[in-house]
Amino acid sequence: MLAYITRRLVYGLVTLLALSVIVFTLLQASGGGPLDRLKLNPRMQPFIQQLTEQWGLDQPVWKQYTTWLKNYVSVQEFAVHNAIPIIAIVGAAVATFLIVKFVRSQWTGTYLLGIWSVALYLALRNVTIRFNWGISFQGAGDVWDLVFSRTGATFRLGFTALAIALIIGIPLGIYQAIRQYSFFDQLGTIGAFLAFSTPIFIIGVGLQIVMALYLERWTGVKLFYVAGMNSPGYPDMSIVGKIADTAQHLTLPAISIALISLAGYARFQRASMLEVLHSDYLRTAKAKGLPRRKVVIKHALRNAMIPIVTLVSLDVAFMIGGAIITESIFGWPGVGRLYITAIGTVDYPVVMAIVMVIGIGIVVMNLVADILYGVMDPRVRYD
Amino acid sequence: MTEKLLKIEDLRTYFSTEEGVVRAVDGISFDLEPGERRGVVGESGSGKSVTAMSIMRLIEPPAGEIVTGTIEFKGENLLELGEDEMQAIRGGKIAMIFQDPMTALNPVYTIGDQLVETIMLHQHVSKKDARGIAIKALEDVQIPNAPARLEDYPHQFSGGMRQRVMIAMGLSCNPDLLIADEPTTALDVTTQAQIMDLMLKLAEDRGTAVLLITHDLGVVAGFCDTIQVMYAGGIVEEGSVEDIFHNPQHPYTWGLLGSMTRLDGKHRARLHSIAGAPPSVIDLPVGCRFRPRCEFAIDICGRVLPAIRPIGEGDQSVACHRAEELDLKTLDVDVDHTKEVAS
Repeated sequence: MLAYITRRLVYGLVTLLALSVIVFTLLQASGGGPLDRLKLNPRMQPFIQQLTEQWGLDQPVWKQYTTWLKNYVSVQEFAVHNAIPIIAIVGAAVATFLIVKFVRSQWTGTYLLGIWSVALYLALRNVTIRFNWGISFQGAGDVWDLVFSRTGATFRLGFTALAIALIIGIPLGIYQAIRQYSFFDQLGTIGAFLAFSTPIFIIGVGLQIVMALYLERWTGVKLFYVAGMNSPGYPDMSIVGKIADTAQHLTLPAISIALISLAGYARFQRASMLEVLHSDYLRTAKAKGLPRRKVVIKHALRNAMIPIVTLVSLDVAFMIGGAIITESIFGWPGVGRLYITAIGTVDYPVVMAIVMVIGIGIVVMNLVADILYGVMDPRVRYD
Repeated sequence: MTEKLLKIEDLRTYFSTEEGVVRAVDGISFDLEPGERRGVVGESGSGKSVTAMSIMRLIEPPAGEIVTGTIEFKGENLLELGEDEMQAIRGGKIAMIFQDPMTALNPVYTIGDQLVETIMLHQHVSKKDARGIAIKALEDVQIPNAPARLEDYPHQFSGGMRQRVMIAMGLSCNPDLLIADEPTTALDVTTQAQIMDLMLKLAEDRGTAVLLITHDLGVVAGFCDTIQVMYAGGIVEEGSVEDIFHNPQHPYTWGLLGSMTRLDGKHRARLHSIAGAPPSVIDLPVGCRFRPRCEFAIDICGRVLPAIRPIGEGDQSVACHRAEELDLKTLDVDVDHTKEVAS
């Protein structure tokens, strides 16, 4: 298990390296130097000087890449505030060793995942760490600060959307499979087809027009906002008001992101559930005299959930990068919008930083998915 | 005569498909005495498995439906029971084991989980006692190191071992009737023989009646007391193993016996084969269903479906117009298959 995780992390590192080379090259090939826009402004001359030096922009491309890479992985600031991080990491390492050595159970993966999540969380809470990701070409400041000031907004939107998609999509798919070809099933299929094939900008704008604009016109009450994360008066609101204001802003963008995932989960869950429902072991369960409810909940569900784990894990990874289009439509101050602006201005420290964050997310979530897969399906073994 | 364990009358199970109505089981009647071991023999699609699934009431509407008939189990018509009452019978009084042991067990639960679940469902015992019964059941089917193996998952067992687990699960609640649907078809020949021996011993010890569904006459010969031969949804011949093997009355039975390989050294020039294929159960021929493939068919066979009727002195019955005039045992396909091993 440990050897497997180590091997996967090494592969992941290679993947990330390849990703950075490809994206860096593509950015160079996109035409228009990163500083062209700045050059139009005579007052920017000293800034250009500084950037050229920092990123080696007068050097050949491969040199620029190595400069970027060296900066990207070098720590600019690192401070441990107390002993908690050390205790957490050492504790987790010892626990890992003991579990791998003495516990032979299919839950090993879960234990390790849980222990390390808690340990890393505790450690990161008690240290200050900054990598030298440089400064934005567009004068927006330090890239590290820029990216991480946006992640809160992105996570709020992403996790809400994911929760909606999971809470509705999975039960919907299960119900559709149990009542295959019923009216409800057909309705779900058509709905999923529509949600899946409608472009996100039509869903987003459509929701804005109908749910915000027309609804307000008809009812006279402002139920949802079309843009922003909170109203300007937010800091002065009561706790109830704050929650309501947040929900009013969050609902529409979250729904428009959730719809596609929801449709995907429902379809996937339906197919996987149908396969399980027709399996021999389900017939065995019925022949044993188990009540139908127990047949479905105990014997079918766990098997039918296994393939969904991968799907959801990868969605979590993509969520980290923010929803580029939705964030733009709803004026959501998240990573996705920062990303699209940065691409437009060839602000490559920002673009590279975000691409790599998404890449790391995908590598880590892939590993998490595999570990969870091994937990849910005892036939899967990582040795 | 003792009370019948199972009494089926005029059972008809139909499936509606896009091509039409599939008459999978079309008017069969038979009885089973307590402790009787009966072989149900026939080709694929002859309605053997559907018969079993009908007894268990596992035919899923709307596709499949038991149209008419009665299935009396210990004097109670199963078709009139509510779903709750039927659940108590399934796995408790009537157990079933299936063809493919590789897929019949749930891959994500341990053998112990699945055994204990069944036991606790039908016998009101604590989890600890259920575990004890489970261990005993595994020992009965000769699985070595039973207590430890309870913690194993199905994929950690070989095919033969999994079928033993299925048998243990089936017999753990001491059912009156065990339905075994091709229990050895997916296993290799040596394992087949072991599993059949084991089933025979367990069924005899406990007095469990067995309905053994198979297309393998060799398996039937060593295991069963009686046989019913099914063809295209109906029973064409039934009787004791001796009668059927020594004195087949239906040309189809005769053909089946002739197509068996022999291991006793009496070589025939070549194996007999029955020409043609079974009819589509959607579009059955008028008259006798075996007529298109029968060497002995005459005019009446094409017009009238022969009813099953007793023949001879024993309990043998046959559904053939010409049973009396044809003396099948004197024809080329010769006798004494009863000592044959599974082929």
